[in-house]
Amino acid sequence: MQEKKIVLIAEDEVAMLEALSNKFKKSGFGVLRAADGEEAYDIAMLKKPDLVMLDILMPKFDGITVMKKIRAEQTWGNKVPMIILTNLNDHESVIDATENNVLFLVKTEWNLDDVIDLANKKIAGL
Amino acid sequence: MNILKKILVAVLLFVIMALLVFVFWNDCDQIILIAIIFFALLTFGFIYFVVKGLNDKIRHMALVVGEMAAGNLNKKIKIEKNGDLNQIANSLNDLMNRLKSGAVMDTSVNRELAQAKADFVSLASHQLRTPLSIVKWYTDYILCGDAGDINAEQKKYLSEIYNTNQRMIDLVNALLDVSRIDLGTFSIEPEPTDIVKKANEAVKKYESIIKIKKIIFEKNFEKMSPLNLDPRLILIVFENILSNAVKYTPEGGRVRFTIKKTDANILIKISDTGVGVSRELRSKMFSKMFRAADAKKMVAGGNGLGLYVAKAVIEKSGGKIWFESPSMEFFVEDGGKKAWKNMMKSGLGTTFFITIPSKGMKRKSGTKKLERIE
Repeated sequence: MQEKKIVLIAEDEVAMLEALSNKFKKSGFGVLRAADGEEAYDIAMLKKPDLVMLDILMPKFDGITVMKKIRAEQTWGNKVPMIILTNLNDHESVIDATENNVLFLVKTEWNLDDVIDLANKKIAGL
Repeated sequence: MNILKKILVAVLLFVIMALLVFVFWNDCDQIILIAIIFFALLTFGFIYFVVKGLNDKIRHMALVVGEMAAGNLNKKIKIEKNGDLNQIANSLNDLMNRLKSGAVMDTSVNRELAQAKADFVSLASHQLRTPLSIVKWYTDYILCGDAGDINAEQKKYLSEIYNTNQRMIDLVNALLDVSRIDLGTFSIEPEPTDIVKKANEAVKKYESIIKIKKIIFEKNFEKMSPLNLDPRLILIVFENILSNAVKYTPEGGRVRFTIKKTDANILIKISDTGVGVSRELRSKMFSKMFRAADAKKMVAGGNGLGLYVAKAVIEKSGGKIWFESPSMEFFVEDGGKKAWKNMMKSGLGTTFFITIPSKGMKRKSGTKKLERIE
């Protein structure tokens, strides 16, 4: 059997975190949860998951900051697949994400199935 | 003395000199020669001083204007008695006075206010979208069976919730677009774009509705090389107009989407056999929050912002947009009786026309991008 992929989901909105982590679990992922930016960064560094999903507007650090901090880490962080999943669709964040090889998704535009699908593709390096 | 008089004097001196040369050419004694040289020197000297004077004044004015531009609003250009450049100098001084009296302050305050508004809109739309996406995801979760089996009736009602929520999402997106247009903060970033590909992408979005309503949809795309267009914006425009065409055309009606080259433009036509636009409502078509009363009777949904967005995008990028209703598109080819019958049956029909210059959209820098209305 294939090894279980681990995804870290950073999301401060409980309802969303719940929906996302349930969906990922049902789709065969192992899920780590973080409710703010600082927690997300600490867990990411400690557990080094296979995929990092970040919201932008979160307490402590915003998702873009977390993304940059993770990318600055040279052994794992600079190449781990990451997805920004947010409803804050501003131009600068999109550019920041693209420049750091991070997929930028707007929540209202995607169903959960699509998110899983894109997550799998991102892990597979597509 | 104004510049015209100076030139006249110069010409006069030159003519006198020329006459002297002409008349005394043959018996050239010393006095005449001296006179000719004297007049020649006088002429060129005069011209030299006129040109130099003008040149110095312009240079002085350029320096002062430069200082004004750098922010010194108290600077004044000296007005000379009977100066050549007095008119320009006066206008510039007036302009400075007006700027000093508050116009400049106003624009900078406005700019700050506009930025604050834009930031607010961005954040507000985020806050609005958050609950909407939660509803979207959970309904989706139940609908796709992840939370256990549901029966057909439950599925139907949940689908209603899902679709209505989606309409709300569309509305929030459209409102965001509109506010960005109103604030002038949206950008146009042209890049080589395959317009036909974008058109097909837009049509794809409405494929399922076209199928359900059994609409006869014709695509009439001329092959063309990539154009300088903003790919996101052209897609938004296509989607907004197609959405109306498909929405307001009754079952079994026709929609035709044409893209072709004309002399200096790309012409886009979207024609339908839908309800059409009545005379009294024609002038309001591109305004915000407008929906024809006839349309209201027929289908719910639609937010009345699509055409406003389309017009703003097309006009800001250097193109034109207009419409014709009753539409002549199908009328001519159906011919007389049949055409009348169709019109009576389904409506007057509408054709939207868009032209974009062949050289592409005009670039416009702005702080925000218009987002795609999903």
